[in-house]
Amino acid sequence: MGAECRVMGLFTDENRAATAITALAKTPWRLEQVHSPIPSHKLSDALQQKKSRVGYFTLVGGVIGFFSGFALAMFTATRWNLIVGGKPVIALVPFVIVGFEFTILFAIFGNVIGLLTQGGLPDYQGMKADYDPRCSGGHFGVLAACPETETEQLAAYFKEKGGIARVFRPAEKNALNDSGQEVI
Amino acid sequence: MSELTYAEIDQTILDTLGPAPKAYWFTVALLAVGILGGLACWTYQIFIGIGVGGQNNPVAWGTYLINFVFWVGIAHSGTLISAILHLFGAGWRNPIARAAETMTVFAVCTAGLFPFVHLGRAWMVYYMLPIPNQRTLWPNFQSPLMFDVVAISTYLTVSSLFWYTGLLPDIATVRDRSTGLRKKIFTILSMGWTGRMEQWRHYTRGYLFFAALATPLVISVHSVVSWDFALGIVPGWHTTIFAPYFVAGAIHSGLAMVLTLMIPLRKIFNYERIITMDVLENVAKTIIFTGLIVGFAYGTEFFIAWYSQNSVETAIFKWRALGHYKIGFWIMVTCNTIIPLLFFFKRIRRSIVPMFIISIFINIGMWFERFVIIISSVAHDFIPHAWGLYWPTVVEMGIMVGSFSLFFFLFVLFVKHMPSVSMTENKEVLVQGERHGG
Repeated sequence: MGAECRVMGLFTDENRAATAITALAKTPWRLEQVHSPIPSHKLSDALQQKKSRVGYFTLVGGVIGFFSGFALAMFTATRWNLIVGGKPVIALVPFVIVGFEFTILFAIFGNVIGLLTQGGLPDYQGMKADYDPRCSGGHFGVLAACPETETEQLAAYFKEKGGIARVFRPAEKNALNDSGQEVI
Repeated sequence: MSELTYAEIDQTILDTLGPAPKAYWFTVALLAVGILGGLACWTYQIFIGIGVGGQNNPVAWGTYLINFVFWVGIAHSGTLISAILHLFGAGWRNPIARAAETMTVFAVCTAGLFPFVHLGRAWMVYYMLPIPNQRTLWPNFQSPLMFDVVAISTYLTVSSLFWYTGLLPDIATVRDRSTGLRKKIFTILSMGWTGRMEQWRHYTRGYLFFAALATPLVISVHSVVSWDFALGIVPGWHTTIFAPYFVAGAIHSGLAMVLTLMIPLRKIFNYERIITMDVLENVAKTIIFTGLIVGFAYGTEFFIAWYSQNSVETAIFKWRALGHYKIGFWIMVTCNTIIPLLFFFKRIRRSIVPMFIISIFINIGMWFERFVIIISSVAHDFIPHAWGLYWPTVVEMGIMVGSFSLFFFLFVLFVKHMPSVSMTENKEVLVQGERHGG
């Protein structure tokens, strides 16, 4: 089997990009990646993306925060175990505020951890290979892989769907994307 | 805005990051002088003692606490615009959300300085942190002041993370269109964001949770600030209306500050096609609403003082309106509740100059609201022989000018070096007419 090549179809219209993604499933070529300047529902539907699991991280963070807040307030109260004005040393009502704030804080920490781990960030290598800077501007990039001998056909497929094609040769896979690009 | 293209949005916003004219650096230098002036006053206070301020017995809380509450209030509308309006799917918030979030972060930073200043011995601030120590003393989490430490720290952390998460796709856009040192800096800041759909899948979900969590947080934070006062038994403070009253006031002042900042920004950076008149008009309409709530709260305080027939409560409210600080009281009432009613007239709420002037009046009015609440109540306490008056000193005024300079200094630096309007969110509105998906 010959070397594999990657071709990115660049579209200015998200509907055309979505059509290209859907139709790609009926071709022998493999969809690798889709880049978008906005969080597009149409592309998400075309890719049949599942719901993100970031929420579980948020939930776990929130639960940890809730108990941590109460635990901290109770711990500090018992370090000075003195009843003042007949009020209990461990007074749950005021501790609700500490518990609440800690719930939010830790839920956000969980959310950020979820976002980073699930989204694969930081990912400085990802922007060095098979990425076109136009995808952060006005273009939707659909990256597909094919045998090197079928590069022309895949590029023609993207053109037919209303985009322009950029070929990433295997040799330049680890090179910076601006070097030696081939736009068809 | 619907006639704009992706490229035009990018170009308009990226143009703002170009080389700055001399006037810009002059403004930055002027603000830096203001900060240095404030810093000099604070240094003087540290060396001489807290007595250089006008605080006395019984008025122990002066402009430091007024400014603290004022800046926390300003911080609130950023989260209102970015989180609450996001959850409601109000697309008009997109052009101003970034600037409002930025305002939030810098306003909380500014507010956070005042407890240090008010503390006098600023190096003792670690007493408020729950850390093991040789004195075996721990913070008392039954105190509203400790609620405040927890709430403000949480708010600063959450709003900063929310702000940075929103910036991430735009930082990548700037990175991809930069060269040299700027490209290197933005490459690091972008964390390798490439807009992969896999990244967006988690980003949109995470952003939604950010908004959902920031909404109750923002309400809790100013409620907690209000309880610094309401949990005391001082007449004029000890009232259950304080939490919603403070939250409404905070949003009122924050929205006014949004107009104060966005109107010049719109003109200087040629944002007219992005920050349209409709966007500013919606802010003005929201100000009418918050102004009415604030007005209702002012009236309710007087009504309850009369209805309770509590002589101390009645006396303090009479004194507020007719006593030594009556000028502050009437400035507060006029600027916060009467002047914003001008926004009922369409011609006024769609005219830039009147809108800007009204926003300034509301900022002034909201500062005086905090003055009236904080000063007048303790100045006119239960026992007549313990009454006293307070006026700020030059040192306090210097620190106050320094705080305003610091806020505007940070904001002015930000708008010239980072995208001050969200490119991604405005593109979203353009194409989909809807918000971030969940």
